[in-house]
Amino acid sequence: MSQSLRPYLTAVRYSLQAALNLTNFSSQVVERHNRPEVEVPNTSAELLLQPMHVSRNEHEQVLIEPSVNSVRVSIKVKQADEIEQILVHKFTRFLEQRAESFYVLRRVPIEGFSISFLITNKHTESMNTEKLVDFIIEFMEEVDKEISEMKLFLNARARFVAEAYLGEFVY
Amino acid sequence: MEDWRRIDIDAFDPDSGRLVPEDLAPPNLKSVNAGEIESKISQLRSAATSGDFATALQLVTNEPPYSADEVTKSRYFEAVLSALTQVRQAEIANLVKQLSPAQTDVLIKYLYKGMSVPEGQKQGGILLSWFEKVTQNTGVAPVVRYLSDRRTV
Repeated sequence: MSQSLRPYLTAVRYSLQAALNLTNFSSQVVERHNRPEVEVPNTSAELLLQPMHVSRNEHEQVLIEPSVNSVRVSIKVKQADEIEQILVHKFTRFLEQRAESFYVLRRVPIEGFSISFLITNKHTESMNTEKLVDFIIEFMEEVDKEISEMKLFLNARARFVAEAYLGEFVY
Repeated sequence: MEDWRRIDIDAFDPDSGRLVPEDLAPPNLKSVNAGEIESKISQLRSAATSGDFATALQLVTNEPPYSADEVTKSRYFEAVLSALTQVRQAEIANLVKQLSPAQTDVLIKYLYKGMSVPEGQKQGGILLSWFEKVTQNTGVAPVVRYLSDRRTV
């Protein structure tokens, strides 16, 4: 792991550990509803805690918004050029369309971020919290690798295709 | 009035028990005036330029201007950020060890604030190494206290 990536992931890990202290909490507004307080237009400020930004630079950030029964984690994946923008968009969209089988994934990322997770008290009750944190950290590690791998592959393929196509015109 | 069934009548009831962020701020915050902050900013800058980072850090972490308005806070924060980013990587661990738990909590607030504004994000690397040294020293405790503390810097 590179030297500057480690403090970034450590900071995210500590922030998540602090934020993932969730409890079951019924809605104060709607009878017999139990909804993630971070997602609903909220009328009671005491249910939301201070949001945490962790950023390595302008392009790589994590925003953690904690509330009494849910935490929203949004990740901005590094996008250096247009190819990476397209790849990140396609990749996160692929995952988001399968959000049901990921449980903690949010279908739409919040404004300005590439991908969002929504962890509620249901998840922390049925899953191991430490493993949830590990999953998000691992995701952050893997997604960068994945994108740069895809970019290399795409470039190699483009070169091959261009050679094959333009070969037709060599006399 | 086209949709009177959707009117939120509780919002008009002073006894409804609803809280807005202003209600949550502790009532006995020490008020600060503009002159004090200006003098603190200039002290901070001179300490940082002379390389006396221990003093600068004490200034930063003692009595931050919680009750000031956002403009003043961001002006003050600029000075804090420039002081924090001038410290060399190797010195950070030593400086952090000298802080009391209450001072560490304030430092964590400034680190999170730094990472949430564009000026600080450019310096993300150094803020993250501050953060790492703090958590190596104290663990997750200051982060938890940051979450529930309604006094913002």
